[in-house]
Amino acid sequence: MRNGRRAGGILLAGLMIVALAACGRDEDDGGGESSAASLAPEVDTGAATGEVSVWAMGAEGDNLEVLADAFMEENPDVTVEVTAVPWDAAHDRIVNAIAGGEGPDVTMIGTTWMGEFAQLGGIDPTPANIDASEFFEGAWDTTVVDGTSYGVPWYVETRLVYYRTDLAEEGGVTEPPASWDDLKAMAEAIQGAGAEYGINLQPGGTGSWQTFMPFFWQAGGEIMDADGAAFTLDGEPCVAALTYYDSFFEEGLTAPAPGDLPLEGQFANGDVGSFVSGPWMIGVVTDAGADPETWTVAHQPTEEAGTSFVGGSNLGVLADSDNKEAAWAFIEYLSQPEVQVTWFETIKDLPSVQSAWDDPALADDPLLSAFGDQLADAKAPPAIATWEQVAAEIDGVIEQVTVGDMTPEDGCPAMQEAADGIGTGA
Amino acid sequence: MAGRSKTRQTLVAWSFALPFLLLFVVFLAGPIAAAFVTSFTDLRVTDIKNPLSVDFVGIGNYLDVLGDQRFQKAAQNTAVFVLVGIPLTMALALAAATGLNQGIVRFRTIFRVGFYLPVVTSIVAIAVVWRLLLGSEAGLVNGILAGFGIDGPGWLTDERYALWSIIAMAAWRNLGFLMVIFLAGLQTIPGDLYEAAEVDGANRWQRFRGITLPMMRPTLLFGAVTTGIGYVQFFEEPFVMTEGGPLNATLSLALYGYRQFSFGNYGYTAALSFILFLAIALLTLLMFRLIRPAT
Repeated sequence: MRNGRRAGGILLAGLMIVALAACGRDEDDGGGESSAASLAPEVDTGAATGEVSVWAMGAEGDNLEVLADAFMEENPDVTVEVTAVPWDAAHDRIVNAIAGGEGPDVTMIGTTWMGEFAQLGGIDPTPANIDASEFFEGAWDTTVVDGTSYGVPWYVETRLVYYRTDLAEEGGVTEPPASWDDLKAMAEAIQGAGAEYGINLQPGGTGSWQTFMPFFWQAGGEIMDADGAAFTLDGEPCVAALTYYDSFFEEGLTAPAPGDLPLEGQFANGDVGSFVSGPWMIGVVTDAGADPETWTVAHQPTEEAGTSFVGGSNLGVLADSDNKEAAWAFIEYLSQPEVQVTWFETIKDLPSVQSAWDDPALADDPLLSAFGDQLADAKAPPAIATWEQVAAEIDGVIEQVTVGDMTPEDGCPAMQEAADGIGTGA
Repeated sequence: MAGRSKTRQTLVAWSFALPFLLLFVVFLAGPIAAAFVTSFTDLRVTDIKNPLSVDFVGIGNYLDVLGDQRFQKAAQNTAVFVLVGIPLTMALALAAATGLNQGIVRFRTIFRVGFYLPVVTSIVAIAVVWRLLLGSEAGLVNGILAGFGIDGPGWLTDERYALWSIIAMAAWRNLGFLMVIFLAGLQTIPGDLYEAAEVDGANRWQRFRGITLPMMRPTLLFGAVTTGIGYVQFFEEPFVMTEGGPLNATLSLALYGYRQFSFGNYGYTAALSFILFLAIALLTLLMFRLIRPAT
């Protein structure tokens, strides 16, 4: 018995030593080739045959069959098999697929996951037959990791200012807000016209960086330096943006804590006069009963710039895929302007391909074309493996400043320090 | 002859134990050993294609975890949750069990079901209902308070109340399980002890202190240990109700570990998990010392 236990202990210790001895990073990994071309060699997508398995999340996963069927009609030699994956599980499932080498050929990828998957060596560089200039620049940048592109933007979204024109007019504001001062004045005017809060801004919490970062960019800030090596969060633009953001809380123009009433309802009945959000809110606000005559969307206010946030999802081919020709052929198909318009008509996903916006379905809709205009000036966070963690730190500082008692002057160095501590994961 | 049959017996015994042993080694001991090794490396999600090509960082992860302000905040929240939550849950459960055992005769089943129902209800359903109850603007609790002219706070969105709201919910959710255990414990106490005490003139409180509590010691210990192990790892309540906010007021150790894991910091998370494991072991040991039946 005692001997047995000792033998077990020795075995375990031995296993650990073997495991530890095998550890150690290769000196030159992560650096990659010095001459990183932005695109990989062309893939012969014309000769696509065989099977392509595709993972997609959310409404995209539920409806992609529509496009897959159309693709198979044009390419009878290819079979596309779509698997819907829930958003909550998608990240881990893709990581597992990459680690195990057993995954789909094509997968939908959240824009903030690109850095991680590319660094894992799990997704294929974009071949040269894809033309980067067809896409919105901000969206294309989400695919670029260390100078190499690893996929294409599939659909996009960006954030605009939604506001109640009737309340603004009642308060004496008849023009959409062009600057920070205008936006503040509009919130005050709307509140003066009887709204409980002139605007709704997120007081920290998951994803509040998506509302805050546009202000940071508008003040002239950049998240990282030009070569993507170091964070440049702290500085004058950050303090200016955080002070401006916090001033809405200080002056009681926005709710001090997340409420338990849905925003769309409060917007529809005039309790909240404006907010910053993405295109999905058009439908949500309409369904909540807001009279279309009483509200509209406006471009982000302009200081140094009028930049907004661009999100959405990308499409990538897994490095272990054994049918890359057909996989890229399917992605090429999904990137055609007509197909992008069909996709918009199917589930209202906004096209990532610029020329698709010329289609009357989008161009003739004043609300949607406002989103199209903003997309020309919209940025995404850097595609680094640690972005989600850095973003959580930024969310935390935003909460400390808006809800807690941290000053913007302390908040910006705190963001910088936290981001430096996390690093880029490279 | 005797030796051969003994060997045979041993072989049979091992073969019976083998299925468990295999499962235990593959799914429990193996991963735990792997996690232990991981906790001394800088393994991140970006390494999983080559998990062995990582650097050995000694106790660096452990030092990082202990020096991390958010870990300290989470440890503090967890300590409050455990130190307030365990006595509160046990007291409520014991009160409910004593009541059901003695006082309440009518509708006893209804009470039992009522207290036990939260235990078998999905935490997500409970969280939705409690969020409706505790909402700052449309919540029922604040609605009732408003009837008395009191402007209730945001129970889950105000830094000062959030953790206490969660403790109250956890106590309510878990007291049913302990109540059943305690009820069983109460029913094993011989009735003649109470009769003898009554003859000696002991009042209700004296009987409770002098008979019920000492006789219930092993049951109480069991209750404290199982509740304690669960409470040190409390996770679902903040995960579904507050996401650890506001201002990390409800961030628990398990939730913080989960977050670090989802950020892909595997080495760091492994170290944090072993610290949590150590805390659970120490707490359990402490409770055994405190409530161990006097022998």
